Parts: sequence; structure tokens; C-alpha cells
Amino acid sequence: MTYTLSSTAQRSYWLGRYLERAENTARLVNVNARLLYDLPKRLPLGWQPLIAITGNQQAFSEYYEEPTEKNVCRFLINDPRNSGSLLSSLEAARENVRTLRGIVPRQTVEYVNEMVLFAKDQLTEPLSRSRRTAGLIEVPKFTQRIDGFMSANMLHNAYWSFFRLGNYLERTDMTSRIMDVGTDNMLEAVTDLEPYADIQWRSVLLSLDATQSYNTEVQEPIQQDSVLDFLLHNERLPRSLAYGVNSIRQNLRGLPRHESSLRIANRIRRKLRDSSFSDAQQARAFLDEIQVDLASLDRAIHRAYFESPANPAAAGKTKRKKSTGA
Amino acid sequence: MTIDWRSYDTDGLWDELITANHRARKGAGNLCRVLTNLSDEELTARKTAAELAIRSMGITFTVYTGEGSGSIDREWPFDIVPRLVMKREWDQISAGLQQRVKALNRFIEDVYHEQEIFKDGVVPREYIERSKDYRTECLGVSPKHGVWSHVCGSDLVRDADGQVYVLEDNLRVPSGVSYMLENREVMKRVFPELFDEYVIHPVDDYPAQLKACLRSLTDVRSPQIAVLTPGIYNSAYFEHAYLASAMSAQLVEGSDLFVGKDDVVYMRTIEGMIRVDVIYRRIDDLFLDPEVFDPDSMLGVPGLMRAWRAGNVALANAPGCGVADDKVIYTYVPEIIRYYLQEEPILPNVPSYRCVEKDQRDYVLANLDKLVVKPANESGGYGMMIGPRASKAERDKFSRQILANPRNYMAQPMLSLSTSPTLIDNHVEPRHLDLRPFILSGAKSYVTTGGLTRVAMRKGSIVVNSSQGGGSKDTWVVDLET
Repeated sequence: MTYTLSSTAQRSYWLGRYLERAENTARLVNVNARLLYDLPKRLPLGWQPLIAITGNQQAFSEYYEEPTEKNVCRFLINDPRNSGSLLSSLEAARENVRTLRGIVPRQTVEYVNEMVLFAKDQLTEPLSRSRRTAGLIEVPKFTQRIDGFMSANMLHNAYWSFFRLGNYLERTDMTSRIMDVGTDNMLEAVTDLEPYADIQWRSVLLSLDATQSYNTEVQEPIQQDSVLDFLLHNERLPRSLAYGVNSIRQNLRGLPRHESSLRIANRIRRKLRDSSFSDAQQARAFLDEIQVDLASLDRAIHRAYFESPANPAAAGKTKRKKSTGA
Repeated sequence: MTIDWRSYDTDGLWDELITANHRARKGAGNLCRVLTNLSDEELTARKTAAELAIRSMGITFTVYTGEGSGSIDREWPFDIVPRLVMKREWDQISAGLQQRVKALNRFIEDVYHEQEIFKDGVVPREYIERSKDYRTECLGVSPKHGVWSHVCGSDLVRDADGQVYVLEDNLRVPSGVSYMLENREVMKRVFPELFDEYVIHPVDDYPAQLKACLRSLTDVRSPQIAVLTPGIYNSAYFEHAYLASAMSAQLVEGSDLFVGKDDVVYMRTIEGMIRVDVIYRRIDDLFLDPEVFDPDSMLGVPGLMRAWRAGNVALANAPGCGVADDKVIYTYVPEIIRYYLQEEPILPNVPSYRCVEKDQRDYVLANLDKLVVKPANESGGYGMMIGPRASKAERDKFSRQILANPRNYMAQPMLSLSTSPTLIDNHVEPRHLDLRPFILSGAKSYVTTGGLTRVAMRKGSIVVNSSQGGGSKDTWVVDLET
């Protein structure tokens, strides 16, 4: 029999994370732009929330003065100094997939290469609005093609489970960060502007591609409480926290030595199930807590599978810093 | 303009398919006819189909682009006109290769044990002791079956008179076999109808044969086999991954392995530590074990030599086997065959001069413009000088190098490497080629049917290495008698 190498499992996990991160970043930037086109110019909302969502405030302030559209987009899309930028994520995905030959289907390597070449061609400076929008729309098409191809053709073995763990950890983390922004009270001063009252929540649903699902499942107007409830608890929505945590648990159960990681995942699930809030403040505190739990789940996975006792310095990939809010 | 063999000029050389008077050689008629019947458009379509197949199959090799920038993957260069070898000739070559590798393995075993061949004065002891691939760490170690070089790739060339010579034996970590296998796959996609014309011996049992060979190196009943690669930036990484996958062995890097206090090699897996019994290593000796060799090596596994010497892991190829891969030792191979096997060599060596011997050195220095000078221990065509094509300054440089370190050089007359029709734009032209068959030695020995044909794509060039602009062809061992 062949075994699952720790190092290879780790790369599969990170491939899952980076692909998901790239896709989410692309969605996020486009949705934010769309939202801003709809708002009166005098509103304070801008590009700052995107920096907050991706948890990169510190790095951003190091290189840029103002969170203008140009600066934020550059930082999130193609700034090589930002290890979490779309292009950095894609290149990291390519590095990982190169070493997964023989594990992932041949075409996966090819598709990832194509995607990187496309992004380097279409998403580098100078990046006009129209070029940016057109380029970013393509990114989820690429990632979904890769995902679909792997899902349909790859052996669903332990390497696959690690790929999915990476996907869902990243996705759950990202969903919670996007919700974080929804709970921000930036629009408080202007909620009297009737047409814009729920605009933040509309944009949250949009960036998760979940508007249609929301309308089908909830059948209520878009407003804070029901969107929060939907994104936290709905077990049929692939981008909800409940769905993500369930997928993580399911993939962990198929792996050996999953006890410590599964314990944390179960804890997150219980927390989600029992959660209810009376105001946005509480919701934000709760989401922050979930992000901390997800980070410790990531560490538990690294400890159990990627860092054997004889090789304590195995990991080396940096986890994004939690610096949302304020 | 379709292919017209009357305008194909063999230029006084031996061509593998076409005779000097423009006729197909025995057995090549059907191939030449099929090619002639293709229109320009069809030829181009086949060529494009081959390129597409290579791209979609992901057949690549890695080229170093210099410091800093690292390396890039290139698509494997492939020519759609196959090279034919008749079965009857191949059987003879195959027997010659087995004889050669058997004798070389006996030689390596002797070098690290009794050293009878020195005592009997057949090979001078100092040649070995000054070889940079002689490893005192290997003295007294007894790999199973007395075999040190389990996978050998010998380069064959054919001279103008049709004689096949062994140009060199790559006993350490020869590469290319995966391309031999993939070339056949591409050919089946591109020219399926040709397979009706001939009885072509299959090549695809190589991974199974390699696995059987590796299994025979241990007494463990279901051994854990790993392919040890330097990693994705190595020029042969494609092959390492290919072979590991085809054998369903683990593809590992040095950091995936460690040697315990019990001198046993383990692999780090998500299931925990798993014992490894056989390692097909594709890393050079000096990087294998930082405890023994290069202490700065990040590629190897600390303690690997300990584990190997203790008999807890089999290494293929065994460390130290490069001692017989030295181009000066090469000049002794005919004597080595006679000494250990009491047989006459079936396959001849290219006549060679040893620069370390005064009369031969004087001849070499006086005839640098006619000779090919090779350093004792380089591969990939590096560090050699092709006299007739070198400038005066280059020849002077080599002259000084030879005088400074005669042990490190040998010289051979410049062979007129045979050619074979190769598609250049929309017509065929003769291009020089060689052939690298692979010989496996374990409990049993095995020779690939054919091997990897490498072809110099530039007109007149004899440099076939893919790192230096060479291409490749599918090699067909054709049986005309069945």
C-alpha cells in the first residue's frame, strides 16, 4: 500500500486554501466595486473594509497611505509584497500543484498554469476598472474548473480530504470575515436613507453568490438578523459557516489521528448551533471568536499531520494575522 | 512538396533508414512509403498533433535558467519520424549490454572488497583511488546479489561503417527512460496506422520490471519502496514522478525521510512513521547523506549511509557505483569483461586514449584537432571538447588542462554519428542521433527493448542532450520474422 506523505498532504491542503483564497479575493473586489457604484458619493463606505476583511491592515499601512480604490485593488490583486494578494495566492497554488503531480489529475497542473498565465497577463498594472472587472470575473471560472476537474477525476483519498479541508477552512474563515464587515456600523449615520438601509447585507450576500439561495430559503426581505441566521446556520448553503464546519468534520473523520482537530471542529459546530445575538456588536464578537477557533483548528491540523515530532519546523506557511475591525 | 527520398542526402554517413543510393534499408520500406504518401498538410497536422499530445500529457523537462531565476519547464522535444532497429541486431546489442553491466558490477564489487583486479595488474590501482567517485565509505559493504548499479543507461552510437559502439555507461543516476515510454504513447496517438505495418516490440513493461528489480533488493516480503528525488526543480523531476506513480511507489524528498537511532529509514506520513526498505535514489552520492558527504546538502537524509551499511535499507543505485562510470575506467571495460567473465566483449568500445599514459597523451596533444576530449567525470555533454569544431584557443586551453591533470581526461577519435530522417519544417533531413537503452540488474537482469533515441536537431550537430537543444524519437525494435 502507499501512504500519505505529510509533506504532500500539507501541499494539498495549501493548494485548497490558496485556490479558495484567490477565488474569494476576486469575488470580493468585484462585489465591492459594484456596491460603490450604487452608493451616493457622500457616503463614507469605500475600499477600507476589504483590507479589514482580509486581515491585512498592518501590511497595507506599511506600503500605502490611503485606502483608495487604486491602492486597495493593487494591494489585493497584484502586489507581490502582499503574500495574500490574488496573484501571490495563485503563484503559491502553482508551486503547490507542481509538487502534486501524480496525486492530482494531469490537467489540474495545466489548468493552474493557465490561470496564473492569464492573471499575469490580465490582472497586472496598469489596471483600469474595466480590465480589472473583466479579469476578476474569469478567476472563479478557472478555480471552479480546477475544482470540478479534481472532484470528478481525482482519487478521493487522504490527499483529497486535505485539499477539501484547505478549501473549507479558507472558505469558512472568509465567510465569517465578510459577515464581519456586514456587522460594521459604518452606515449607521445614514440608515435613514431608506434605499440604502440593507445595502451592506445585500453586498454580503452578493459577494458570497448567495442572494438567490437566500431568496429561496428565507423568503424574507434582506435584513441583518435573517442574513446572519442564514449564513451561520443554513446547512444547505455551501458557503455558510454551518456547511463549512460540517464539511471539515466529515473530511477529518476519514483521516487517521483526527481526535484533536475533530474536537475543535465539533466545538465550533456547537457554538454555531447555540448562537443568537441581540445586536451587531454581539455578532461581531462571536464572529471574531469563530475566526480564532478556525486558526486553532488550522494549527491542530498542522500539528497532527504535517509536523512530525522529528521535524518540528516543517510548516513554514504563514497564517494571516487576525486584525479585523477597529 | 511531399517527402522525396531522392533529394535526401546521407552525405556519406550511415543513415538508419535510407541507404546512400536513396533506397529504404531492409525493414524501413513500409515506414518510408507511409511518410511519402502524406501531403504537406497531413505532415504538419501530425506534427501539431504530437505537440498537442505532449502538452496535454504534460511531458516536460526542466531547464536551469541560471542563478536566481531558477528553472523552467519545457515541453519535451519530439520528432515524429521513428527510428527503427531490427530485432536480430537488437538481440545482439542486448546481449552485449547485459554482458557489459554484469562485468561492471563485478568490478565495483571487487573494488570495494578484495581488489583482485588491481593485484592482478589489469587496472592500475591509482586510477581508482584518484577517481572522484571512489568512496572509501563503501569499502566492505555487500549489496544483495553483488549488484551496485541496478539501473544503467548506456549510450550507443553507430559510426559511418555501420558499427555500433558503446560511447559511455551511465551507472549512477541515468535518466530518460520515462521519455522512452512517453514517446511510444505519443506515437500511438499520432501515427496509429504505422502500428499495423510492423510488429513493434512494446516498451511499457519497464515500470513493472523496475519494480521487480527493486523488490529483489530486500528480503522483506512486501517492501516499502520509495523514489528519492531532489525535488521539483531537478531537470528529471518529471521522470521521478512518472516512475514513482507507474510503480505505485512513494515519491519522496530527503525531508520526507529520517533515520532513527535504530539505523532504520522512516518516512513521515499522516499515519505516522513508516519504515522504508528500498530507495530508488535519484540524487547524486555526495548529496545523499550530510552526515557522511556534503554537510550542507539539504537534499539528502542524515544517517542514510549508516542505515545502508547496516543492511536496513537497499539503495539503488548503490553509493560509490560511479567509480565504474569514470571515462578513464571506461577505456578498460573490454579488459574488465575479459577479466571477470572470461568472455570476449560482444559490443565494442569506441577506441580511446588515456591521457595519463605518456605515449597516448603525446598522441592526444599532437592531434587535438581530430579528437574528442572528455573529462573523466561529467555528464550531459558538459566539459568536453570536440576538436575538429573547437577554436585554437579552446584547444590550447584543453592542452593546458590535460597537462595539469592528465588523470582527468581521455580522448576518442571523432565518430561520424549515424543519422536518421527527421522532420524539419515540411521535409525530412538527416540528423545525428544516439541511443540510450536501460539495463536493470537485481536478482535478474533486463534490457529495455530499444531505448531512448536522442537526436541533434541542429544540422550537423552531434550534441543530442535535451539540455542543449537535442530532441528525441520513438525507437522501434521491429521483428521482420513474425
